[in-house]
Amino acid sequence: MALVSPKKVIIDTDPGIDDAMAILFAFQSPELDVIGLTTTYGNVKTTMATNNALHLCELAGREDVPVSQGLLTSLRGAAKERIADFVHGSDGLGNTYPPPPKTKAIDTFAPDFLIEKVNQYPGEVTIVALGPLTNLAKAVELDPTFAKKVGQIVILGGAFAVNGNVNPAAEANVFGDPEAADIVFICGANILVIGIDITHQVYWTGKDLEDLGRANGRFSKYLYDASKFYADYHQSAYDINAIYLHDPTTMVAALDPSLFTTAEGVVRVQQEGICRGLTLFNNTKKKFHEVSEWCNKPKIKVAITVDADRVSSLIKERLIAP
Amino acid sequence: MGGEGGGLHRRKVIIDTDPGIDDMMAIFMAFQSQDIEVMGLTTVFGNVETPISTINALHLCEVAGFPTVPVAEGSLVRLKGMPPRIADFVHGADGLGNTFQAKPKGFKSKSNASDFLIQKVAEFPNEVTVVALGPLTNIAEAIQKDPTFANNLAQLVVLGGSFFASGNVNPPAEANIYGDPEAADIVFTSGANTVVIGLNLTTQVIFTAGDLQEIRDSKGRNGAYLYDCCQFYKAWHIKSDHLDGIFLHDPTCMAALLDPSLFTYKTGALRVETKGICVGHTLLDLGLKNWVGENPWIGQPPVKVGWTVDVEGVKALVKSLLCRP
Repeated sequence: MALVSPKKVIIDTDPGIDDAMAILFAFQSPELDVIGLTTTYGNVKTTMATNNALHLCELAGREDVPVSQGLLTSLRGAAKERIADFVHGSDGLGNTYPPPPKTKAIDTFAPDFLIEKVNQYPGEVTIVALGPLTNLAKAVELDPTFAKKVGQIVILGGAFAVNGNVNPAAEANVFGDPEAADIVFICGANILVIGIDITHQVYWTGKDLEDLGRANGRFSKYLYDASKFYADYHQSAYDINAIYLHDPTTMVAALDPSLFTTAEGVVRVQQEGICRGLTLFNNTKKKFHEVSEWCNKPKIKVAITVDADRVSSLIKERLIAP
Repeated sequence: MGGEGGGLHRRKVIIDTDPGIDDMMAIFMAFQSQDIEVMGLTTVFGNVETPISTINALHLCEVAGFPTVPVAEGSLVRLKGMPPRIADFVHGADGLGNTFQAKPKGFKSKSNASDFLIQKVAEFPNEVTVVALGPLTNIAEAIQKDPTFANNLAQLVVLGGSFFASGNVNPPAEANIYGDPEAADIVFTSGANTVVIGLNLTTQVIFTAGDLQEIRDSKGRNGAYLYDCCQFYKAWHIKSDHLDGIFLHDPTCMAALLDPSLFTYKTGALRVETKGICVGHTLLDLGLKNWVGENPWIGQPPVKVGWTVDVEGVKALVKSLLCRP
């Protein structure tokens, strides 16, 4: 078997239970070389996200991975209206209240960290964005070469031809900062977006969670405990005995894109009105009579199908592993 | 069902329209059908400006053999007063494929469209169905002027929107809803018994050149006339969609009125975006999640949205009516 050097990955994250799964999955994956975590607000406030990111690195014995804190507000300075503590718990980790981390975030501000690494390794860095796109949009604005130098951006965000999960129009990460999302989607970088139309197909049932709890894996008991609150939320929100694997699915897309098929086109984000945060993907070859906001903009890839069984098994396999 | 030898029970229908080639086909279907009684046409802008819609409506009633059916002219502008978007690049400057044959002898009604709608619905509560084939300006006006209108309407069947599928003005928006988004949102939240047929369905229902020739060559009353009008419309479809055929938007909507069993539906709160780049976008809540907090879909009355269509069934129904002598 040929030795391929692992992909350099920076994870932009708001842990978050499924963020925690994705981060630990990344640490368990030899194909990925995690060179940093950058934190954003979304599931929790940025400072708590930083705290949780540091904790997860310590849990995994990876204190060597730098954690860089991002913006405390949205790109345009708005405080976050809606912290999803009813989804992830008030500690972001299912109310398991882990001990405070011993390590600290580095001094570099997240957008600057992203710019630094992308310039240090042009064409090589994959950013996996698991929260609102605030830090990435800031990096795009600060460095006009950023979009072309980043290797790929793999994003969990949007709802394509399905209802959102915050409200019928909008998915949580894009709703968290619609201005930032639109800037990133049209910046010209090599982008792959995984929407909830995909991630709602990838889940663990109650039985999968029980398997997790019984396993002797490195992180399995920890994740089992953190997932209980998340599972209760899914029961009340969706009437299902299962949890969606949003962030881990996105991490798998960075690791093995062959488990997905994609379509190419322009994605724009609605900024105002009742559909604020809506992602609208034009993947048609239709010739519209009037010029629109989808004309003459860079195209990106949007996932349209997923081999759900293989993705969910792969996630389970690596998170149960010793 | 009527008694033997007695009059058939026909549904009372008013057609709000901006003829418009596919409007023309739907109007002919209605006049040819034994199951509906066309009480009147009300006109709106969209494919053409309202005054041309009115001329075309009068003309089509005469061509169809119903010259005394009232035609009430509607609003010239959008509900909030803005000037309309006119799609004459699709339907021709005369709205009927640049065939320039519309010279009606009759005159429009003294009532305007919304007053006509209000009057008829008040006269026959729970009996009148309105089929809306253009922007929803007149319907919204009627709803705003008469608080009993929405409840007394037996049914409203709308050609509009696109559900989890592309628009045709631009990616988010379909033409009728884009034509007056504020009016559409008022109509969809009014509580009227409403069925909406969107582009997600109508772009599946296509007449090829062969289908159009069949109608022309049949003994159908208006077959040849219809065929000529469709040529300009057909040429547009090649440009816009690389399609060698025509979408049957308004006829599909009329089919939903005539035979609802040709469709399946989803029901939920339906809102229209009135701002920003996605203005005119129709967003249906499918009800798959128990929302936390407030949002603009919660508490809105349910609307039925066409979800699947029996394409061959609709095409057969359309043909059978248009080929009728």
